[in-house]
Amino acid sequence: MLKPYLAFAKKNFLNRSAYRFNHFIGIVNTLLRIFIFWCIYDALYGSRTEVDGITMAMVTTNFVLSIGMDAMFSIDDYYLSGRISNGSIANELLLPISFKGRMLFENLGNSMFQLVFHFVPALIVAALTVGFLPPVSLPMFLLFLISTILGYGVLWTISFAMQMFAFWLINVWSMVTIKNVFINVLSGSMIPLWFMPEWLKPVLDVLPFSSIYFTPVQIYLGQLTYGEIAYKCGIQGFWIVVIWLFGNLLWSRGKKKLVVQGG
Amino acid sequence: MSGKEGYIEVKNVSKRFKVNKRANGIPGMIANMFRPKFEYKHAVNDISFSIKQGEMIGFIGPNGAGKSTTIKMLSGILYPDSGEIVVNGYKPYEDRKEYVGNIGVVFGQKSQLQWDLPVIDSFELLKAIYRIPEDKYKKNLERFTEMLDMSGFINQPVRQLSLGQRMRADIVAALLHSPQIVFFDEPTIGVDVVGKETIRNFIRELNKEDNITMIFTTHDMQDIEKVCDRLIIIDKGSKIYDGKLLGIREKYGTTRQLDVEFVENYDVAPIEKVTIQELDELDGRKKRFIFENREVQIDELMNTLLSGYAIRDINISEPEIESLIRKIYNGEVS
Repeated sequence: MLKPYLAFAKKNFLNRSAYRFNHFIGIVNTLLRIFIFWCIYDALYGSRTEVDGITMAMVTTNFVLSIGMDAMFSIDDYYLSGRISNGSIANELLLPISFKGRMLFENLGNSMFQLVFHFVPALIVAALTVGFLPPVSLPMFLLFLISTILGYGVLWTISFAMQMFAFWLINVWSMVTIKNVFINVLSGSMIPLWFMPEWLKPVLDVLPFSSIYFTPVQIYLGQLTYGEIAYKCGIQGFWIVVIWLFGNLLWSRGKKKLVVQGG
Repeated sequence: MSGKEGYIEVKNVSKRFKVNKRANGIPGMIANMFRPKFEYKHAVNDISFSIKQGEMIGFIGPNGAGKSTTIKMLSGILYPDSGEIVVNGYKPYEDRKEYVGNIGVVFGQKSQLQWDLPVIDSFELLKAIYRIPEDKYKKNLERFTEMLDMSGFINQPVRQLSLGQRMRADIVAALLHSPQIVFFDEPTIGVDVVGKETIRNFIRELNKEDNITMIFTTHDMQDIEKVCDRLIIIDKGSKIYDGKLLGIREKYGTTRQLDVEFVENYDVAPIEKVTIQELDELDGRKKRFIFENREVQIDELMNTLLSGYAIRDINISEPEIESLIRKIYNGEVS
């Protein structure tokens, strides 16, 4: 059943290695982002060891992990719109496989590559320079991995649902930009959610954005009890299902609207 | 060749596209941003036809007639706005995933091969996608590479192939899974004469040997004359002819043209129902007589000419299919 999809994952994994220089620059970019955030927070902390009970080491760990995860997830927000605007979607719909499945697996192939050749090297460099905390315990580390996969699911379904608007708009650049602003600000990857105003925290807790990066990081740092972990992972699962269903609704309406451009 | 009737059924199918109408220049652009105006363009308008299993159909029409849209609806990519398509029991657009395993499509203008990979790697990927069993894959690959003479470039990346080579590779890619129906959308576009001939022979042979149903769109009348049995012509989204290729000549090609070279430059007396044209050749000794073969008996016309004038040479011709189709497109015949 999965064989054709795995073939796509493999193809993408292999294709990625074709552009080596681009790949190295990508790692430098990730390290640069981590370093800039580290400088900003280093200046903000000054001589203090903690702010609101949050240490500099925790903040560093937060953005090393979330920037690293962001680089690893590497979701192509223009997968569908690119295919619609150059017309190649016609050829792809001719294959006897699910387009959505292919979309997911091509991305998974990419992410696997990013995990091995981007996330891990960047993590090692970060550990040697700015430093970050080790996971609190092995069980928490395993739960962190599960929650990371769920976080990927949330991010992917958000991108998936948003991309479906390409059937109507063709160019989804503006929507991608808005989506990214929401994710950057509300997911905790830029400003750790610990520093958000108190009244906003309960809202952010149930929104999908915080469950992408911040939930795994909190588990990694051992800030959540098992009960809270179950609840937070439940929220991740809930959003994956809801956004997936919404995206599917758009897909089944949109494909009737499909216009094949060129020829 | 015998096969199931109504293998492909197209009933009253229409498809329209929304087109943004906007005035020229910057004022037009600004007006369009606040109050966009749309109009509907009928790409396909109430088309019906029925195709037997194993038939070889030439599907032609001028640019923008709706050929590609029809092919895309038949192959499950586009949804019709109204009407119904049933192919071998499937509704292409609703059962897409199951249906497309039974068809092959060659878009002359869009390659389905992986640009950076050798041809054979694209074939391997297709083998995985279509879940083609190893022995069948080997057999098909061997047979087609030999028929299309592809062994020389099968290990080259697609981006290094000539257009003719790429087209052959694309055709094989569409056939590896042994489809029962194949759509060719301009498969010879941009290919040289020899390449075209190879492709035509291959298609002809495959249709005969494997009884594959084929629909073929093209702008090259040679393709049609050499390959297709039956012709469907559409224009502005509507079907205007459906029948045998030779039927075109019977239906539209009733005009005959008689070129006569006289010994001297005679003033030929008018003949009833015949148009006489002076040709600027041989000092006016050559004249052309145009008439409808239903209205004028050719032997009577010859008699009139032979009895009245000294004639050196005579030549009668019927119109080419190509010029007939051009006339049909231009609306000169109906």
